[in-house]
Amino acid sequence: MQLEKFHYDNRIVRNFAYATVLWGVVGMLVGLWVAMDLVFPRTFNVQPWFNFGRLRPLHTNAVIFAFVGNGIFMGYYYSLQRLLKTRMASDVLSRIHFWGWQLIIVAAAITLPLGITTSKEYAELEWPIDIAITVIWVIFGWNMFATILRRRERHLYVAIWFYIATFVTVAVLHIVNSFELPVTFLKSYSWYAGVQDALVQWWYGHNAVAFFLTTPYLGLMYYYLPKAANRPVFSYKLSIIHFWALIFIYIWAGPHHLLYSALPNWAQSLGIVFSFTLIFPSWGGMINGLLTLRGAWDRVREDVILKFLVVAVTAYGMATFEGPMLSLKTINAISHFTDWTIAHVHVGGLGWNGMLTFGILYWLIPRIFGTQLYSRKLANTHFWVATLGILFYAIPMYWAGFTQASMWKQFTESGQLKYTFLETVTYLRPFYAMRSFGGALYLTGALLMVYNLYRTVRQGRLIANEEAQAPALEKAYTRHTGEHWHRWLERKPVPFLLATLVVILIGGIIEMVPTFLVKSNIPTIASVKPYSPLELQGRDIYVREGCYTCHSQMIRPFRSETERYGEYSKAGEFVYDHPFQWGSKRTGPDLAREGAGNNRKTNTWHFNHLDDPQAISTGSIMPSYSFLIDHVLDTSTTRAKIRAMRTLGVPYGPGYEDQANRDLVNQANQIAASLHKDSIPVPANREIIAVIAYLQRLGTDIGKSNLAEVTNK
Amino acid sequence: MALPKTIPVTAAGRPLRTDPAPASVKTQCFHCGTSCDHSIGADGRYFCCDGCRFVYQLLQENGLCNYYDLTQTPGIRVMGRFASEKFAYLDHPEIQQQLIRFTDGRQTQVSFYLPQMHCASCIWLLENLRSLQPGILHSTTHFQRKELFVVFDPGQTTLRKVVELLAFVGYEPYISLDNAGARRERKVNRRQLIRIGVAGFCFSNIMMLSFPEYFSSGSMDLPYLRHLFSYLNLALALPVFFYSAAGFFESAWKGLRQRWLNIDAPIALAILVTFTRSVYEILSGAGPGYLDSMSGIVLFMLAGRWFQDKTYDSFSFDRDYKAYFPLGVTVITSAGEQVATINSLAKGDQVLVRSREMVPADGILQSPEARVDYSFVSGENTPVIRRRGELIYAGANLLSGAVTLEVVRPVSQSYITQLWNQADPRGDRKNTEKSFIHPWSRYFTLVLLGIALLAALYWWVADPTQILPAVTSSLIVACPCSLLLSATFTYGNMLRQFGRGHLYLKNASVIESLSRVNTIVFDKTGTLTHATQADISFEGRPLEPGEARAIAALAAQSVHPMSRLLRDWLLAQHGTGNYSVSDFTEYPGHGTEARIDGRFIRLGSRAFVTGGDSGPQGSGTGQVLVSLDGALRGAFRVGNRYRDGVPEMAAGLLAGGYRLHVLSGDHDAEQDRLRKMFGPQTILRFNQSPHDKRAYIERLRDDDPSAVVLMLGDGLNDAGALLCSDAGIAVSEHVSQFTPASDAILDSDSLTAVDRFLAYARSGKRVVTQSFVLSILYNLVGLSFAVRAALSPLVAAILMPVSSVSIVLFVTAATSLAARRRNVPRRDDAHTTL
Amino acid sequence: MSVLVILISVSILVAGGFLVAFLWSVRKGQFDDDYTPSVRMLFDDTPPPASRATDSLSEADKPSPVKTKHS
Repeated sequence: MQLEKFHYDNRIVRNFAYATVLWGVVGMLVGLWVAMDLVFPRTFNVQPWFNFGRLRPLHTNAVIFAFVGNGIFMGYYYSLQRLLKTRMASDVLSRIHFWGWQLIIVAAAITLPLGITTSKEYAELEWPIDIAITVIWVIFGWNMFATILRRRERHLYVAIWFYIATFVTVAVLHIVNSFELPVTFLKSYSWYAGVQDALVQWWYGHNAVAFFLTTPYLGLMYYYLPKAANRPVFSYKLSIIHFWALIFIYIWAGPHHLLYSALPNWAQSLGIVFSFTLIFPSWGGMINGLLTLRGAWDRVREDVILKFLVVAVTAYGMATFEGPMLSLKTINAISHFTDWTIAHVHVGGLGWNGMLTFGILYWLIPRIFGTQLYSRKLANTHFWVATLGILFYAIPMYWAGFTQASMWKQFTESGQLKYTFLETVTYLRPFYAMRSFGGALYLTGALLMVYNLYRTVRQGRLIANEEAQAPALEKAYTRHTGEHWHRWLERKPVPFLLATLVVILIGGIIEMVPTFLVKSNIPTIASVKPYSPLELQGRDIYVREGCYTCHSQMIRPFRSETERYGEYSKAGEFVYDHPFQWGSKRTGPDLAREGAGNNRKTNTWHFNHLDDPQAISTGSIMPSYSFLIDHVLDTSTTRAKIRAMRTLGVPYGPGYEDQANRDLVNQANQIAASLHKDSIPVPANREIIAVIAYLQRLGTDIGKSNLAEVTNK
Repeated sequence: MALPKTIPVTAAGRPLRTDPAPASVKTQCFHCGTSCDHSIGADGRYFCCDGCRFVYQLLQENGLCNYYDLTQTPGIRVMGRFASEKFAYLDHPEIQQQLIRFTDGRQTQVSFYLPQMHCASCIWLLENLRSLQPGILHSTTHFQRKELFVVFDPGQTTLRKVVELLAFVGYEPYISLDNAGARRERKVNRRQLIRIGVAGFCFSNIMMLSFPEYFSSGSMDLPYLRHLFSYLNLALALPVFFYSAAGFFESAWKGLRQRWLNIDAPIALAILVTFTRSVYEILSGAGPGYLDSMSGIVLFMLAGRWFQDKTYDSFSFDRDYKAYFPLGVTVITSAGEQVATINSLAKGDQVLVRSREMVPADGILQSPEARVDYSFVSGENTPVIRRRGELIYAGANLLSGAVTLEVVRPVSQSYITQLWNQADPRGDRKNTEKSFIHPWSRYFTLVLLGIALLAALYWWVADPTQILPAVTSSLIVACPCSLLLSATFTYGNMLRQFGRGHLYLKNASVIESLSRVNTIVFDKTGTLTHATQADISFEGRPLEPGEARAIAALAAQSVHPMSRLLRDWLLAQHGTGNYSVSDFTEYPGHGTEARIDGRFIRLGSRAFVTGGDSGPQGSGTGQVLVSLDGALRGAFRVGNRYRDGVPEMAAGLLAGGYRLHVLSGDHDAEQDRLRKMFGPQTILRFNQSPHDKRAYIERLRDDDPSAVVLMLGDGLNDAGALLCSDAGIAVSEHVSQFTPASDAILDSDSLTAVDRFLAYARSGKRVVTQSFVLSILYNLVGLSFAVRAALSPLVAAILMPVSSVSIVLFVTAATSLAARRRNVPRRDDAHTTL
Repeated sequence: MSVLVILISVSILVAGGFLVAFLWSVRKGQFDDDYTPSVRMLFDDTPPPASRATDSLSEADKPSPVKTKHS
């Protein structure tokens, strides 16, 4: 228990810092690109790889897991060592963690543009990468806990609790949501179907936000804000309370992403209530952060780092206030599927995560390089540019979301829908332009930072191993252990009751899992049939091209929607959808009943529209999919896919996989034939045929005939 | 590094001529921030005294100057030299045993109470002690408890060395027999935390699992989910019922055994009923039960208690005389000097008392002469002289050099400790008046049972199957939690409001006492008047600036409180100058002399300055004479200074219809000024001994049973009075330093807000009553459902949190508002951080 | 909606795990002091420049058997 000399590992911090900056720029660049996709569809949609549908997932993944992810680890590795007064338990693990994570990112950057995706938002990566993520994540956690065990500071500062929470919950979320059945090396089907899949997905989706973008960053805030301001956090007690409050209930929220969907009402309400309760613990963090600076606002005016942090915390406050509001049915009815959601997440992303990361970088880089920041003035410029960027981004998007929603809902006196969907889209383009400008500004700011940090690094030298000293932990006081003894009697119940509790819970699950696997795939609507092999292939192309990023397949029970798209969606319709394709944004119209009723279009229409959307519907911002005409459909996978689907409970007859391809060819020929009539000489073996087949199938299960039977289910 | 055993009063190596500084400039001591001149400097920084300079140099040598960057002038003014033997008693094994928490030959763990701890720098320095003294392995602070936990290697250093180091850097640990600071227990507190945690966890999840039932209005599409949910709820409710709620059952049971229906009884009943009925419903599949309401009740209750039990960790409200005496004393035996514990002192022992030490027991002076003051005992800090054979009382503070005494009474029976030993007349009464909601709760329970009975009767006639539902649900819904919450949160928040005004209450029940006060007794010295500041006037031909500064320069050399007062006053009057100081000598208890720029100046008692015979008439009057080159120049009169705003406060209290009394330990010289401030009807008493004060209070209460007496006093001399008053408030200039046993500790800067505090205390009662009415209303609503046996779990689940939360919000808002209206002072600082 | 069973059980289990963590930390006295740590984290424990050593790693950096036996 003598005074020990040891060294903090700054190299790993630097590496993650570099990665953060690099991927940050990449992610924003892609973001800007997809934004431009919407403004100048013909120029920027370079098919197939740079089509919106393929790049948008890349943008979200790059920003969330590459930029923010590396930012988290950068912050962790610096603060964890210092809060625990020890070096990371194992440099090797640290390095594996770093390179592993970067590899995963690269893999994502390659697979997503290639259209290799599960189409589950923020979880698009295919199963081999999912496994890699799990492994790396475990290594990261292992390293962290090992470090905690050999710490020299007994008290675990509140930030560390947030780190731990992040590790545990993200692990659980990732695993539960990634239950999928591999079909080929790079193709899998989600274990769950339709409504269930949607529920799991958004339970994950929401908590990914909660535990990847919020808790870790709260932890970072609790370390870097006091450090930067050099004053203790406003109320440490509050920070502790709001952590435990958060952690006891946060993981519940989620269903609110599915309001008015085919999810049972009570489950929706559940989501609402809990999303709403969350405002309290969330604001605990914000209030604590801002009040930490009380009486130091003059310093904020001088210190650019504090400026970044303050804007970040404010943005957090706004986002966490808006979130629960958006989960209220009345507001959600307006906001959902529109750009309002986009604005909301970007206030969080650009404001809270982005600004906090920038602040931390500016604070941290000079320190580990033993120098001063190259130019405070430049950082200041960055701050203002970035702040403007956020405004230019958010305001047009809120506006766009609001107007589009209201346009969707307007009727003429004669009871007709006032605007066609296309009109709403063309109306939005100027807003999309403004949004792109905002994004460009924000990116410019980031580039300024890159230069600034580059010069800073140049003028300093990395202190790879920063010396520190602290005494080892002293032995436990015997006095305390003594007290254990005369209190053991009344302490006994707790562990006992807890044990029972856990046992009961585990029991409950074990008992329920089988029921779930059986029950979950029983169709509730007789007329709903499995997809034909061709439709199934077409659906997989639909997934590959990320159509769900612009087209929902979920008609909500509003007059404005049923008028436009037809009968609202029923839970029973999706029982064979692995994965579900409800989507979360309507840049294009809903496709749930694309093949049914008055929405139904001719094969030729679909063919031409996919070939050149603008030619068919002027003003459309949909990318061209002409390459589908050239690509030959790969039927070698049909057999595997049919088998997989059967395993998942889809009732394909025994041995059907053997005749599947025959059926496929027949159906393809019919469609091709109908196209030939309209003198479109396309071979039947092309992907576009499969896509048309799928689109024409959408929503056809429920004809007028059996609607009655459906509705009373 | 080796500590200088004592800081030499004339430090070697100090330049006789210090660098010039304009007289106007006010310089702050770089270490402790007291204003000072430029006579003491190092590295271009200036210090008020050598003490501060030494500490600075020590830190600087060890690269700990970060201390000065974290906070401006964080240091504590080092009070001059401490006698080398002062901490000798820490070498005494028996004493060590009492202090040391744990030791195996290799490491020793001990924790100290450091009242001086006040800022980030303190924490930083104290946690870096190891770099100041080899052998100290580890040190951790607990700021709010002002506690320092040290681990050191007994092989390399000793307890005494550690304490000496601490004392040297200005953090003299407060060590005493009842080791108030260090030995506070916090286990209970932990248990409560766990209970809240468990309840909170289970509650939030139970609520979660109950909602589906409610939202699907009982008709959930999938029945098996519903069963799963209710069984999970049951599982989650177990810890709440058996563990978190245990406290209520215990106390209710205790109450019942004493035939006394306390507030916990109805709660326990409600919880029990709710639980059993829910279990029955779930197992029989009849319904989802009321588990969410139950766990909610428990959680809110626990939270309420937690909130109310706010305690000020760094204060100790119940110190007895032991706290004031040194742990160890030096006894002279045939074998020579020995350290003995104070308790072991027996009649006839010869004790050695050194300068600035406290006389441990009443004793006969053996040495020719001793100069002591009874500042501790009587609040009077003017020195008195005792000669051989005279009796010196315990608690006296020795000013002159070391003397020996023969003990006549052991500590426990000494004159001063009698104050505590007389049985406290009130005895338990203080504890019984916990809170006036008890009678209420009694009625409440009775009424509730009555209603339940009526409902039962009705249904017995109408539809017997409904009896059970009706009765149980009325017990469930009418749980008095909102009643209890209203009280707990009201007082909890008031405690905090008082705290922000720097009035720190022992517990919530003190608010009750304060609200009933109608008679207020003030101690004068140190309470109404400043303990450290004084009104100084010069008698004789006015001093020229030159002379004044010269005298200041002399005074600056001495650490005697009187000299410091003089110096500060002179500096304030005439600004600083630079003088060469030579042949400085201090005669403890008499005065100081030195040659300042060639002029020989003497400063001190009449006897010392004029050379005439000394004696009580010479001292006692707070006179300091000064002579220039042997010629008497004049006298400084050092008189009491009253705190600002005392007159206003007095007026306010009189207007408020309080009966006021002022007791003073010293002579009636102040009578006229007091009269002016406190008006004719106030009763003034002078020359009151500590016992007189106590007796006075007792008489007040005996003569008029309706009198509820509030006593405000500082120091040991008021301890008895504070003890036997209905509410005793100890006034202190450093709230974290020792204060006598009391119900509350008041920072002297808030003394003049007493009238407002009392007004506020009274407003509390009103708030509670109002919120009671509110909660009664809620209960009526609930009951209206219950008696009709129509209480759906949903209603209960909504009503319970709504009522609780709204009541909590109401009382918190109301009390905060009241505080603002009564403008209770609000000062935010480390003490008030929650 | 049987998948809810999975989600709920998982959620409760996770929360339960944290409950255990909570109990542990309270028992270990993690929250006995709810102020000082917030100040302590502001201090850098880099040794005084005098005793600055080389850039090389020292023994204390190497993984070592867990030596924290808390009270």
